[in-house]
Amino acid sequence: MSLRLTVQVQLALQALLRDPAREMYGLELSEETGLQPGTAYPILLRLEHEGWVTSRWEDIDPRAEKRPARRYYRLTASGAVQASAALPAARRPKSTALRRLAEGGGTA
Amino acid sequence: MMPDINREERRKKRAPVIAAIVTGSIVFSVLLIPADWQWLPLAVGTSAAIAVGASIDMPGGRRTGSGLSRRGRGSGLGVRGRDDGDGPAGVAAHRWHSLAIASRLMSPSAGRRWLAEADSLLSEIAPARRGAAIRSYLLSAPRLAVMMWAREVPRRARLGPRRPG
Repeated sequence: MSLRLTVQVQLALQALLRDPAREMYGLELSEETGLQPGTAYPILLRLEHEGWVTSRWEDIDPRAEKRPARRYYRLTASGAVQASAALPAARRPKSTALRRLAEGGGTA
Repeated sequence: MMPDINREERRKKRAPVIAAIVTGSIVFSVLLIPADWQWLPLAVGTSAAIAVGASIDMPGGRRTGSGLSRRGRGSGLGVRGRDDGDGPAGVAAHRWHSLAIASRLMSPSAGRRWLAEADSLLSEIAPARRGAAIRSYLLSAPRLAVMMWAREVPRRARLGPRRPG
């Protein structure tokens, strides 16, 4: 797996995992995670390249709706499984490191 | 969808500008600048001419009826500025053009998608957050371009050279 689970990626995955069947568009995700849209987009793209997420353009008439179509993102079945497995593992090293530091046993 | 580009019309308009820049920088460098520094106005003139030349292929512009202005109509950022009148129009238009320029860093399909998604999001975001959102798009563009080309180059290499027709 080449995907690096940075804190931002974890935030995006957590938001998507809240309801894996739900489709979210960029602004929605950005508001739920607190990430800037310019930060969220590369994350979603990377997740899509890895096959964790699938996306589609909203099928609307922009003139009738008076806004451009949204791009919706949703976790794939395998993406949901992988994300559920990867998130706790991604958090573990950090909490272990923090615990070691708190115990005064941190090594350089 | 990428906007229609009336390339020929822009080429005709830009050609005299490029000629004036090149001529001006040569005359300036030969007549007014000491020999050791003659390269400076030539370098500046060449860069400016290249920039003007490159803008011929840039999507959008301030022409009414262009594809970009059609797109801009529904979004928060029209070609003449923000639709909601929440700030200086020139700044918003400039930022929109910056996004269009940044999209040129990416492969055509990736750039189109990035720009379309930015357009979609910026049309719905609260006006107070729009500036920060545009900045975040601009800041992430170079890294995104590297990421996209890193995928695109091997793909194109696999497909081989494009054949006409």
